Amino acid sequence: MMKLRLNTSVEIKDTLQEVPTPLRVRIPIESKHKPVVKKKQILGRGQVIAENSTKGAYGIGFVHSSIDGIVEDILPDAIVIGPIPAPKEGEEAVAAPRPEPCSELDSLGNEELCRKLLEMGVDTSRFHATRNLVINGLNPEPGVLVSEQLMKDAQEVLKAGLQVLERAFKPGVVKLVVANGKQFSLHGCTTVNASDVYPATIDPLVVYAATGAERPDNVDVISISALYRIGLVATTKLPLMEAVVSVGEKVYRVPTGMTVQDLLDTTGTAYGTDWKLALDGPMRGVAVSDLGVGIAPTCTAVTLVQDGLYPPVQPNPCINCGECVLACPARIHPGMLSRYAEFNMFESTQSQHVGACFECGMCTFVCPANRPVMQYLLLAKKQLAAQDEAVSTCRLQD
Amino acid sequence: MASQDISKKMYSVASAPLWHSGATLQKNMLHTLLAILPVVAMAVYRYGYDAVVVMAWAGFTAVVTEAVVQKIMKQAPTSDDFSALVDGLLFAFLLPATAPAWMVILGTAFMVILGRMVFGGYGGSPVCAPALGWAVLAISWPDLVDLNGMLLKWDLIEPLSELKYFGLDAISSVTPMSLLLGENLGALGASQALMIIIGGAYLMSRGLLRWFIPVSFLAGVLVAGSIYNFIDPQLYASPTFHLLSGSTLLAAFFLMPYPSSSPTWRLPMLLFGFFGGVMVIIIRTYGIYPDGAPFAILLANLCTPLFDLIQPKPFGGR
Repeated sequence: MMKLRLNTSVEIKDTLQEVPTPLRVRIPIESKHKPVVKKKQILGRGQVIAENSTKGAYGIGFVHSSIDGIVEDILPDAIVIGPIPAPKEGEEAVAAPRPEPCSELDSLGNEELCRKLLEMGVDTSRFHATRNLVINGLNPEPGVLVSEQLMKDAQEVLKAGLQVLERAFKPGVVKLVVANGKQFSLHGCTTVNASDVYPATIDPLVVYAATGAERPDNVDVISISALYRIGLVATTKLPLMEAVVSVGEKVYRVPTGMTVQDLLDTTGTAYGTDWKLALDGPMRGVAVSDLGVGIAPTCTAVTLVQDGLYPPVQPNPCINCGECVLACPARIHPGMLSRYAEFNMFESTQSQHVGACFECGMCTFVCPANRPVMQYLLLAKKQLAAQDEAVSTCRLQD
Repeated sequence: MASQDISKKMYSVASAPLWHSGATLQKNMLHTLLAILPVVAMAVYRYGYDAVVVMAWAGFTAVVTEAVVQKIMKQAPTSDDFSALVDGLLFAFLLPATAPAWMVILGTAFMVILGRMVFGGYGGSPVCAPALGWAVLAISWPDLVDLNGMLLKWDLIEPLSELKYFGLDAISSVTPMSLLLGENLGALGASQALMIIIGGAYLMSRGLLRWFIPVSFLAGVLVAGSIYNFIDPQLYASPTFHLLSGSTLLAAFFLMPYPSSSPTWRLPMLLFGFFGGVMVIIIRTYGIYPDGAPFAILLANLCTPLFDLIQPKPFGGR
């Protein structure tokens, strides 16, 4: 029945592609980021535009401008940087101050290095010193080719990234997981072969394949694209200013903040107004309503889905067929949980282990009743989190 | 400015996943209809116009009853997913070809109302609707459902009734091959063993039917049948006979795996199937009905919630 193959491993034919620098970028920021630029300020490529207010070494990275330009707008979720206007007659052109390469990177170690990485745009929130490290070398989702492309074309950068990681976090055992039948080794890690069929490519299952333990608490996991980002900072000694994005059959190095519209146009990708577009892969991606959205550094793909290709998901009744149970990698009962959520029985979803859900989307994918199964589970999780928050607020007030 | 032009165009959004396997209830049911087509053809070949009448009334009544009840319950009509038609035909397969039209209509209406609609429609029922419809008729009008009595106009034997009332010697002439080809009397669809196997194999090849329940059900029949046969081969029929006679195969491939009334986890599915298979033999051996399969299905259905209590630990759970 499954006409779509969920294999993620492919033979990479093309090389990593470059795109021309866009004139205008819209660099996404998160709510934790604090913009440190003003409107009309002239910026150089690599200059910090938003900071993470934390003083610690672990957290989301700072945000940097990916082009020389002028700040056009500061929005809650993005900073728009446009081309510097031509100088008026008699005035001198304003030079954009670009930062110098950071030579300290080679000498620092441990938490100091970690803090430096954070300041240069690397997200360090998911790392812990001295834990074992699993590198997820599987392509994250079907049609998203970034991991295998980078392993083919950016070995030196990955190696540099791993060396920096080793200096910063002193990990124990480092294991690299690649698809069955693929040969790849990275400086000093043990290579483990594992299934490449989605959802086996999601982090907890890759950790299981590498260590044989379910949700062990002494293992950190990092994707190849995240490792590449660290390697890029380590080799260029410049802040992180690009994302590696899979569009169609090819993989591109994209300046952060490049709009989806620009990316699709420069890559010559066909799309129509009745298509759905999402950032990241087809199973976990976030759909965008507006092509003016900028690419975040963590983005791995732009997915296009023609409307009408798949049956529409609707709030149909569950028919108890059990397909979702057989597809679920977390061994929970998505169908039952979705019905609890449908009828506001959120306590029951908790006792039936909704927390084990990986949000891989397989339940919705296989559902013959075309129910939004995972969406119900997400609703339940959100409700439970809100309840917990309400309870803890009450306790604080006591 | 380019960004302003863009912002006028809004794209439709959806929550992930954006892909879908493409499976729909309607497609599944159309494949099921295709799978039971050989059974229908063979039934018509064996029983002629009588079989056509029974199947037509059952299919028609099932669809109409569902539509009427849905109207009353203010539900959206779902006749176009063909599940009612499939249920109606499966129900007809359990009846003798000469069943009177009024009984077929009444039985189908009961099947749809008691087996489906009172639980909210297809997929909500804790029991297998066609088996339930058959049970209602078998208890209310035993003579009109009795295969031996109803099929007197054909000069053949009904193996299970012969075994029940005249012992093992009466069926010595019944070969497995004749059972496979439906050359004996029986329920109009359930006795077309080979065609049912073909239909079941088709559904399995399309991934619409999992092997767990059919295989464990047939294993249950074989194991229990072998035990009795081993105790006294002069008294109890061979397991192969039980496997191919009556509605064992229809139960294995179409009625036991009925989605809402069967368990969902792997181990419970295996236990459920095996339990149902054993019950078939026990009811055939000790019960008052020649064919125990529909009652065995209903009994196993009632145990489904118990089987489904056997759940694996969630990933990473303690």
